[in-house]
Amino acid sequence: MEKRPSIITTKNLNLWYAEKQALADITMDVERNRVTALIGPSGCGKSTLIRVFNRMNDLIDTCRVEGSVLIDGEDIYSPSADVVTIRKRVGMVFQKPNPFPKSIYDNVAYGPRIHGITEKKELDRIVEESLHNAALWNEVKDRLHDPATGLSGGQQQRLCIARCLAVEPEIILMDEPCSALDPIATAKIENLIDILKRSYTVVIVTHNMQQAARVSDFTGFMYLGKLIEFGETTQIFENPREELTANYVTGRFG
Amino acid sequence: MVEKFHLELDMMKEHTLEMGFLSRTMLKIAVRALKNRDLECAAWVLNRREDLTRWDDSIEEEALRLMALYQPMASDLRTIACTLKMITYLTRIGIYGRDIVVGLNKVSEMPPVPGLFSIPRMTEIVTSMVEAGLKAYATDSISPIESIGKRDDEVDALFFSTFQECIAAMTGDPEKIPICTNYILVARYLERCGDHACKMAEKVHYMVTGERITIE
Repeated sequence: MEKRPSIITTKNLNLWYAEKQALADITMDVERNRVTALIGPSGCGKSTLIRVFNRMNDLIDTCRVEGSVLIDGEDIYSPSADVVTIRKRVGMVFQKPNPFPKSIYDNVAYGPRIHGITEKKELDRIVEESLHNAALWNEVKDRLHDPATGLSGGQQQRLCIARCLAVEPEIILMDEPCSALDPIATAKIENLIDILKRSYTVVIVTHNMQQAARVSDFTGFMYLGKLIEFGETTQIFENPREELTANYVTGRFG
Repeated sequence: MVEKFHLELDMMKEHTLEMGFLSRTMLKIAVRALKNRDLECAAWVLNRREDLTRWDDSIEEEALRLMALYQPMASDLRTIACTLKMITYLTRIGIYGRDIVVGLNKVSEMPPVPGLFSIPRMTEIVTSMVEAGLKAYATDSISPIESIGKRDDEVDALFFSTFQECIAAMTGDPEKIPICTNYILVARYLERCGDHACKMAEKVHYMVTGERITIE
């Protein structure tokens, strides 16, 4: 696979929740416009790691980070870094769809409004474009002002992706985005990820190894807070170099 | 679930090994039938053709079922990929055994040419190559197939010398043309079986190490 410039670089990243170390010495590069998957057993630190990328862990008082995390060469943990800007550049989609109890339109317009866009025409444009890009427009265009909570689970998840796209991030973090969805809704999200990577960089955490194999270009396998192996997805699943990785992907774990 | 999967994967490997020994034996017995003009042995080989097809179909089915149900990864995936190729090579090898005895039925009334040139030696080497591939597959180890390329060179050289000697024999005595033509064909089949054994070894090498090689 042709090498692309990295958009996220971590160097010797360590993270503690109080006394407990959750990430140990993680050094990795995430390439731009690629899908990078993080896999590993529960508690291995994969969700913690992607939460580092938009400083979601700041919300936890006892959390302490050492080492560096660069996005486009800028250290997002430096004292001068602005968290609001970081979270605008690095969007996130969670395991369970979490639309706001507002209309479909207001969900998508929420971010742009916060960032100061008030003109209706401009908001209309952003909402339509975001819903298009999240492959939801055709299903909701006639009921934009209906409550978002009336959508199906799969539609709600795509709405959350549209909401994330509306602020024009560079990176989209997805934490188990399909684990609450049925196979058809899952396939729609997976197709969407494939399209999103043309314009965005996607980092996805998933328990579903087949999903990681299907959607990602690169895969990192984590275990006990360490990044055990990182490489092209085909290599990780066809011919892993580390025995731990091989045991995990073949289900011989433990 | 995973335990069950690995049990089934092991079963599939067992079946492939059984099929492999059947192919190898078909080839071996076919040459014995040729050597001893033994039509009983020839009939045994002919009757194994259906068993071979049955194995080919049932192992393919097992492999596809395992992929569909468990979406295997890494060495498990490579084992299944290797097995799917192996059964094709093994089928070909067994069918060459059948082809040898089919030819025998046509020439069994003709006076034999003593020694069969290098055919017995070729058979020995080729069956040892097939066995090496099966052993490597059974034990997940590449050491049995390390010298397989060299052995194949030997087979190729023996094919060439058999070809030359048959031409010389036919030139000297036109009555030997039908039987020598048959020997040339047999030697050619054995040479092809050597190639199949090499392809098999390449696949097993990939299964074991994850690294693709070409045996020249």
